[in-house]
Amino acid sequence: MLGYYVRLAAISIRENAVMSLLMITAVAVGIGTCMTIVTVNYIMAKDPIPQKSEVLYAVQLDSWNPNDAFRDDGSPPDQLTYTDALALMDARSAFRQTAMVGTSLIVQPDDPDSKPFQASGRAAYADFFAMFDTPFLFGSGWDADADRRLEQVVVLSREMNDRLFGGENSVGENITLGSYDYRVVGVLDTWQPMPKFYDVTTGPFDKTEDVFVPFSLVASLQLPRNGNTNCWKPVDGDGYEAFLASECIWIQFWAELRNDAEKREYLAFLDNYVNDQKSLGRFARPLNNRVNDVNEWMDVMRVVDSNATMMLPVSIMFLTVCLLNTIGLLLAKFLGKAPEIALRRALGASKRALFVQYLVESGCIGVAGGVVGVVLTWLGLRGIEALFGDLVENLVQLDLVMVTAAVVLAIVSSMAAGLYPTWRACNIEPAAQLKSQ
Amino acid sequence: MEIGPILRAMTRNKIGAILIALQIAFTMTVVVNAYFMIEERMRLMERPSGVVEDQLFHISTRGFTPDFNGKVSVQDDLALLRQTPGIVDAVAINAIPLSGGGWSMSLQVEPGDGEQGHGVAIYMVDDHGLDTLGVELIAGRDFTPADVRERGPATSDWPDKAIISEATVKALWADANPLEVVGRTAYINDDEPVTIIGVVEKLQAPWNGWTTVEQSMLVPDKLIWTGVRYMVRTEPGRRDEMMPIVEELLARSNNQRIVRAPESMAETRARSYALDSGLAKILGVIMAMLVSITSLGIVGLASFSVRRRTKQIGIRRALGAKKRDILRYFLVENFMITTLGVVLGAVMTVGFNVWLVQALNFPKIDWLYVPIGMLALWLIGIIAVLGPARRATAVPPAVATRTV
Amino acid sequence: MLSMKNVSRIYRTDVVQTHALRNLSLEVEAGEFVALVGPSGSGKTTFLNIAGLLETFDDGSYQLDGRDVAGLNDNDRSRLRNEKIGFIFQSFNLIPELNIADNIDVPLRYRGFAARERKRRVDRVLEVVGLGGRKKHLPSQLSGGQQQRVAIARALAGDPGFLLADEPTGNLDSSTAAGVMELINEIHRNGATIIMVTHDLELAARAERIVRLSDGQVVLLDEGGEGSELENGAAV
Repeated sequence: MLGYYVRLAAISIRENAVMSLLMITAVAVGIGTCMTIVTVNYIMAKDPIPQKSEVLYAVQLDSWNPNDAFRDDGSPPDQLTYTDALALMDARSAFRQTAMVGTSLIVQPDDPDSKPFQASGRAAYADFFAMFDTPFLFGSGWDADADRRLEQVVVLSREMNDRLFGGENSVGENITLGSYDYRVVGVLDTWQPMPKFYDVTTGPFDKTEDVFVPFSLVASLQLPRNGNTNCWKPVDGDGYEAFLASECIWIQFWAELRNDAEKREYLAFLDNYVNDQKSLGRFARPLNNRVNDVNEWMDVMRVVDSNATMMLPVSIMFLTVCLLNTIGLLLAKFLGKAPEIALRRALGASKRALFVQYLVESGCIGVAGGVVGVVLTWLGLRGIEALFGDLVENLVQLDLVMVTAAVVLAIVSSMAAGLYPTWRACNIEPAAQLKSQ
Repeated sequence: MEIGPILRAMTRNKIGAILIALQIAFTMTVVVNAYFMIEERMRLMERPSGVVEDQLFHISTRGFTPDFNGKVSVQDDLALLRQTPGIVDAVAINAIPLSGGGWSMSLQVEPGDGEQGHGVAIYMVDDHGLDTLGVELIAGRDFTPADVRERGPATSDWPDKAIISEATVKALWADANPLEVVGRTAYINDDEPVTIIGVVEKLQAPWNGWTTVEQSMLVPDKLIWTGVRYMVRTEPGRRDEMMPIVEELLARSNNQRIVRAPESMAETRARSYALDSGLAKILGVIMAMLVSITSLGIVGLASFSVRRRTKQIGIRRALGAKKRDILRYFLVENFMITTLGVVLGAVMTVGFNVWLVQALNFPKIDWLYVPIGMLALWLIGIIAVLGPARRATAVPPAVATRTV
Repeated sequence: MLSMKNVSRIYRTDVVQTHALRNLSLEVEAGEFVALVGPSGSGKTTFLNIAGLLETFDDGSYQLDGRDVAGLNDNDRSRLRNEKIGFIFQSFNLIPELNIADNIDVPLRYRGFAARERKRRVDRVLEVVGLGGRKKHLPSQLSGGQQQRVAIARALAGDPGFLLADEPTGNLDSSTAAGVMELINEIHRNGATIIMVTHDLELAARAERIVRLSDGQVVLLDEGGEGSELENGAAV
């Protein structure tokens, strides 16, 4: 029977080509626009590491100005001082933990003909790789000893390994970064968490770094910092040492806490630490230490751009207008078919049968609208890419979930749009129609 | 006007009217808010940065060998740049207006911890700073070579002289005029005194989204870092031609560093406002699509309504309606539906804006946009219904006597 | 009241020309009640359309109430219809979305009467047709006979003086039809000129004069109803 209805729908859609085209266009444009915006929001709001997002915690300590909260809502700073980061690393109270900071390093290829170039880097502790489940193509991360012994080791991104070693296994090779030699211990496979949750202070949707080096080298080699540095108090004295000892915040800190007990213990540890520091004259603000898991952290850091949030209701209203349009057109179309409906009723079609028939027809329009809508979504994302360039590069990928969502949304919404017109059409009195003809 | 009967007739055939009214309401909500947002963004984007953007580009270099001498390098580079034909002037600078990256400090009128501070963006330049940027000095004097000191990576104190923007004057000393403040002292880092030696008319901070974007300060610090950025001012019209020349010049002069691709201020501006201009375009497209879709919807449903009422139109004609009476009937009917839509739309427009203000800190809409939006949609409604209404007038009165 | 001389109406399509009326001449005096009969396709509807100024004609002359209507434009014809002619249609032609009062109100609005005058007239004609209590009803809530009474009330509301009735009882059962015919007769007795188009000779017999149409021409003019019996078979 369904086949029969689909055939009837096809005939009906062909018969009223202009009107059908208009309806399909309305559904497609609505879906296309809505899904374009939703896709961008979806990627922005996506859980970047679903398998571990509930055990990874960003750590905040309120080391800020006693007279002035870091944020107006009273929340603590989003980064740590060097002093505190080192103290937390030394304590090792969490299952795993890492302090980290973005850096940039100049890569000097051995080949004297190739020019040196700048690479983005991240200085972190050995736990980084295990905590964030980074996939390795070759080798592995360094171990905690390397951190302690200030070993000049490096993990390369797949892209960097392709560039420097043509994709070969480079573990054990040396490279020159900022005129120091580093030994390659591992090469990552493609790794691009979205958002780049472990450091959202600069660009939450940036590319992951090209090279990863031990955090201890930040101090010993005075690696440049790539990120935000905020100070509430002047640096006391000149030189790098003075800076490291200052109250300036520039380090992200993550802890892996496997269960609630560990989380409670860790918070207690943080409070103890801060209370100890208070006795040394630091941390003049009230106790305000926080740990947020990955998804909470994305909220705290307002990773979803407010413009994108604003576009969401706009696009939903847009889709609503498109659907209202379709309802209107379907209503016109179905009521225009009153004689045919009356005839079918007279020939014995039940209301139910007619209802299904016209719902199938609306559904067919939905399928067509959905398919075109997916194409328009893809075009819309390309449009956004063209407008914003690398600002959004990683945000405009159409994935299977979104494609499916678009088609389902199109079918459901056009069937919903068809519901009232169908109901009206099925309630046409056969007698009245036949007589007046 | 036959408002009464039209209204009574409409209530018997609600759904079509409601569909159109809702479409108009939603369209108005989006269009008016979008239009307001576009205007807001355009207004932001039109703010001048204060520098001669069409003559400026910037280029950064970074030495990477341990024995790379920042001081010598900057001196050589600046000498080279300043003598290159086509270049008006050049300066080593710590931050670029509109670029989004920079340094801000708090300035206060009284020394001491806990005094009210005013955030200002810091531009570190030498005595060529004003000339290179092309900012206009409206009071006091420019830096002299004697004012300029060197700033290395470890320097943490501040020079004792500064030139501030007029907006900074207003922030610090409310109603003082720029001429009076020359010679006054402000405090940086709580208690380091800085004498204001000059005031420039306008110089924006690097962050265009900053609420105090107009507050900035130039200090006579010549940068001798290993990584440094130069702002280069070319002769008018020669910027694009000079950019690759300078890049090549710097790269060749010293191979112990990398030179990054130069960027013109025009590109910096475009990048700085990429989000705003992109959003304005998206909203523009959405506005256009919504208006077309809603217009098409009105045309479609009105055509349908005309077709459905062919007989009735014939009867009216037979009973003495002139063509213009028929035209008026459909216009009045549409006008009433549109009115319902725009009234609902006005409420929704304001509601949506209230949400934007409360949830997302968007600016509050000017109330004037609401009546203007209502008028615009009324007009769109009338234009859209004109076609179908004219077709209605073509229905011959003889339709009344036809049995089918 | 109505004077047609040699009126012709030709319908043209790409391939065919149909003479719907050919050289039709007819005089109807003020206060007369004329029945126009003829088989389907004899030109009854065309005559009605032309007489009612719903359609123009190709040749001949037509004076309505002493006024030559040949050269009138659409607006003038609309005004003339509105002021001089009342229509009674076979299928009543009430506007389904308007209630009874609003339906009767339609021609009065186009006449430009003030609200109070319109209300007075609506009330008066509803009394005449005996539906005073049904002002707010929709057409669909009334029986066929009642609907036709409303239609008659609408035709009378503007005091047109000239009624064109097209099979006024065609959609009614015989007892209701009798009532409606009685109403039309009464209107005639009160001085209206009436032309009634019908193919029902029994109905036609109630008129003062029967005009027979065939092939777009008047074939026989009867004075009074009696003589028509002979032609019954041919006409129906």
